Formats: sequence, structure tokens, C-alpha cells
Amino acid sequence: MTATRQVMTGTILSHKEILPGHFRMTVSWAPSMETIPSPGQFVMVRRRAEDTPFLPRPFSVYDMDLTEGLEKVILLYRVAGKGTEIFSRMKRGETLSLIGPLGRGFTAVPEKPTLLLVGGGMGVVPLHYLARTLTDRLEKGEVSLHAYLGCGNSNFFPLFRGFKSLCSVFRVSTDDGSVGFKGTVMDLLEREVHRYDPARTMIYGCGPRPMLTRLAAFGIRNGVTGQLSMEERMACGVGACLGCAVSLKTAGGEGNYVRVCREGPVFSFDEFQDSGTRKVEECSVTDGFVKRSEGKAPKSRRMNNKRGQI
Amino acid sequence: MNLSVSIGGGLTLKNPVMTASGTFGYGEEYSPFVDPGLLGAVVVKGLSLKPRAGNPPPRIMETPSGMLNAVGLQNIGVEAFIEEKLPFLRSCDVPVIVNIFGETVEEYARLAGILDGVDGVHGLEVNVSCPNIKRGGITFGADPAAAAEVTRSVKEATRLPVIVKLTPNVTDISAIARRVEEAGADALSLINTLRGMSVDVEKRTPHLAMVTGGLSGPAVRPVALRMVWEVRRAVSIPVIGVGGIAEARDALEFLIVGASAVQIGTASFINPRATLDVLDGIRQYMNRKGIAHIGEIIGSLRTCGEEEA
Repeated sequence: MTATRQVMTGTILSHKEILPGHFRMTVSWAPSMETIPSPGQFVMVRRRAEDTPFLPRPFSVYDMDLTEGLEKVILLYRVAGKGTEIFSRMKRGETLSLIGPLGRGFTAVPEKPTLLLVGGGMGVVPLHYLARTLTDRLEKGEVSLHAYLGCGNSNFFPLFRGFKSLCSVFRVSTDDGSVGFKGTVMDLLEREVHRYDPARTMIYGCGPRPMLTRLAAFGIRNGVTGQLSMEERMACGVGACLGCAVSLKTAGGEGNYVRVCREGPVFSFDEFQDSGTRKVEECSVTDGFVKRSEGKAPKSRRMNNKRGQI
Repeated sequence: MNLSVSIGGGLTLKNPVMTASGTFGYGEEYSPFVDPGLLGAVVVKGLSLKPRAGNPPPRIMETPSGMLNAVGLQNIGVEAFIEEKLPFLRSCDVPVIVNIFGETVEEYARLAGILDGVDGVHGLEVNVSCPNIKRGGITFGADPAAAAEVTRSVKEATRLPVIVKLTPNVTDISAIARRVEEAGADALSLINTLRGMSVDVEKRTPHLAMVTGGLSGPAVRPVALRMVWEVRRAVSIPVIGVGGIAEARDALEFLIVGASAVQIGTASFINPRATLDVLDGIRQYMNRKGIAHIGEIIGSLRTCGEEEA
């Protein structure tokens, strides 16, 4: 199931700013079926033969175009720091070094036909690819997708493009109520949970850390199984540097650090019980969330700043 | 073309390219990209007697041409390493050098004793960049007497070749190198990371949870090169160059100033095949220069008036 990890050179085929500070980049992908990422996996991206940014940046896969011989990976990212700012100025024809696919992605649970995609801001990125890979099963009627997506206001709607046609339920929340439910996506989900049979429902989530904490607790409280995707600063992406460690209660034993790049980035709700992470975040000196969000699936800075509300 | 080098204690490597501790995991992490069997040696992530959880995040931060890390020596402990990680490395046909660290001299010696005679372990690299808890936390490697004492204790506890990895965070690295040599070290590797710091000016907070961290990457290379050159002239045991080596040209610099081998560290994060790329580049250089044996490069630095004709 895990695709072969490779080092590849990719050429930028298109690069567009879909809303201020948010970019969609299409990059050629090594034409090998063995390297097709599974949903939730990520790639480490670096400008080829350039010194800055120094470290590669992790990007979650937003979509793949598998046209034979012309395979492409599609990335969606937000400018969140120096690295992504430099990426954003790259032009068509320039080349990137890609390492991937990496990490443990989302997994399917056959007996759960109702799949809830719960995304906050840039957290929609891995969920979009997940939805796209389920097209066959959707057409056969084996599963149905219900999207619950949150963002600051209607300006962020381009992030949600592509979900509506795949999802039988498409609900949106905005912090300012400019469109859809006024509040956070978790507030919305709490109101809708009574519609779902926990035995037949599975949640896939991605978003800012406070949202993930709330989502895992919500799932456990309501008996709904789920998986969520985390992000962290990374250097290597393959499990060697130990830079992306987070303290999860059950994944590696109490108080043990697990690597987001290897044991994750996808964790089950049970694994995510992140007392350790919360403890760390309470120390003011360790609050590097905005900086960290420069990584894999950059979240909106605005949402990070409203962390308590998500 | 002969690339083999001797790094002391009777240990000969088929080529001078090694991995640096803490940047190559336990070998398996990079196996999709690099066949460890092609390398001169693999130096594994530092091990302690008991598993260590490491430091809270954030642990890393990018800096100009480098990165800071404060991972906190997270590791699975020596027993788990032997049981779970060593079998893979044993199957790779590569010399395995186990990096060890402790908080007391006794811990270093016990680790060395445990690893002595373990099938698949070819040498020890002693990380002396740790606080000595019995001496108020001063780094072993910054205290010539403590560095010598650790070296002596490790040598007494094992028959394996012992490489001592020196910290650059000292005033006179040559003085420490000499003491470690006198205490019986078979070789030296240098440098470990330089202590550094980085601050988020918006929040006025350090970028790392531990406030300071170790700087690595090309940013430290000139410092590392200078120290290797100095130490090479101060001791007669082999010296292994470490610090910001990303390309063959960087590795050649270290060999030319006298390093018998080199370790590739942070560069692997950026290019998982950096070790093999460096090795290829060294071969190309030797081809181009008509050099048959790598020994002709090691310590071949020409100074004033000695330029190539």
C-alpha cells in the first residue's frame, strides 16, 4: 500500500494565486505508478539547485493528475514564512526537487460507508485528495462523502473548490457568518452529529491544532471513529532528524514522542489524545504554531490567530 | 581507483564517506534512497543506556545556510538498538559505528562494555558534547580532564576502535584533542554542532522550545574545516571531518586539510542521496586529476609557494 519513496525532479507546469497569499502549483511527477501517493501522504519540496530556502518544506498532496506519461502532482499552499514566500515567486518551467511520497496516509474502514470530511482552512488540502481518490467508490455507491469545511469568511471559498461535486452533503462555516453557518466548523459539526449513526460513520479531519484536539475529543465522545492529519516543522521528512516529534499519549506510549513524518502525519483519534502537545503549547516560549504552519498543509494565519475559536 | 581509508584502531573503510550521527537514523530511514552497503560506514543516532524521550517541540529551525536543532538526544536505548535496529544494518554489509553518550563516565563505560563483541558493531563514536551531571553540568568535551577520563574508561571497556567526537564549543580544540589522544582514542571526529539561537521578533520568543540549539549545515563548514586543519596538526591519530559537507568539493576540502574520512549530516535532509553524490564526485575528481589512491589527497594541502606547477 505504501508507495516507493523517491527523490525526483519536478518541473512547475502551472502556478496560480487562487486567492491572496494562496497558491496552486502543478508539478510534473516521475512517471511511475509505484510513486503515486496515497491520500494524506506528503512530499518534501525544495527549489532545485538553489541555496534558499535551505530545508525542503513538507506539502500535503492536494491532487494528482495520472494521465499516463504526463503524471502531475498538484499542491495548494499558503505563504506562511520565508520558504513559502520564495516558492510563491517561482515561475512555470522552474524545477523543484521532490522527495516522496512520505508518511502514513489515511486508511479506509470498509464497514463505514458515510465519510465525513472535516476541514479547517488549509486543512482541506489532504481531504481534497482523499475525496478525489474515492471517485470510483462514490460512483458505485459504496460510500458517500459529507464535507464540513470552515474558514474565516467567504473570500476563502476558492479553497473549497472541487468538494461540492463529490460530496452529497456540503456544509460550510465562516467565522464572520458571511456565508453558511456562523462559527467554527466544530460548532457546526456538533449541531449536525445527531444525523449520523456512529457505527456507519467515519471522520477524516485536518486543520489547525486546536481544531484537531477538539475533533478527536468530539469523535471519542460520540463514538465516531476517525483519523486526522497533523503538520509540524520538518527537516528530513523520512524519520531521521526527529525534528517533527510530537508527544502523543497512545501512539508511542505515555509521554513518548512520535514523528509526524513517519508515524503520521495521519493519526487515529485514539492515538491523537495529545496531552503532551497541549502541555507544551501552554509554555509561551514554545508557541511556534504560525511558523510551523509553513509546512505541509499551510493553514490560514488568520485561523491560527483564532485558535481558541476553532 | 583505491578509495579505502584507515580511520584508526585497525578499522579500514572501503571509501571515506560516512554518515553523521543523528542525521541518518538507524540506516533504515534512508534505505529507499541509499544502499548503506555503498558507504564507507554508517554512524547511527546516538545511544544511551536507557531510552530517552528527547526535548519538547519546536525542536528545529531553519537558519541561514543551516539549521538549529534541540532534539535532546532522543533515542531508543542501547538494548532496543541491538535487538530491533542492528539486524537491518548487519544485513547491509557496511561497518556500523555506534555513537554513544552518557551523563556520567560510568555510563559511557557501561555502554562501551555492552556493545563490545556485539555482532555487526565495528566501532564506537563517543559523543562528549553532553553535560557531566557529576560536575555541575559542564560538557565533558569542554573539560580536557573529563574528556580524557571518558576516553580512557571507554577504551578500557571495549576492544572496538574508539572515535571521540569533539565539540567545537571550546576555546582551544587542539588542547582537548591532544588530551583525548593521550587517553587512548583511536581517532577523532569533529565537529559536533555549534551552539546557536534564533528569536521570533514578532512574538519575542525563541524559535526552539529549549531556547538554544546546535547549528549544523553549510553555515558551520568553514569553522569545521579550520578546526580539522588545526587538530590534524596537533595529533597523530586519524581525524574525521564533519560539518556542513554537502558536495564532493566540500568533502575534498576536508580531505585535503588532513581528514582521513568525512561524515555527511544535514545535507542528507536536503538531498537523501547526498552521501552517494559526494562519493561519486570524489571519484570524478580523482579521475580528472589522475589520482589512483585517495591517500594522495589526504593532508595534501599546499600553502604559500607550493602551488601546483
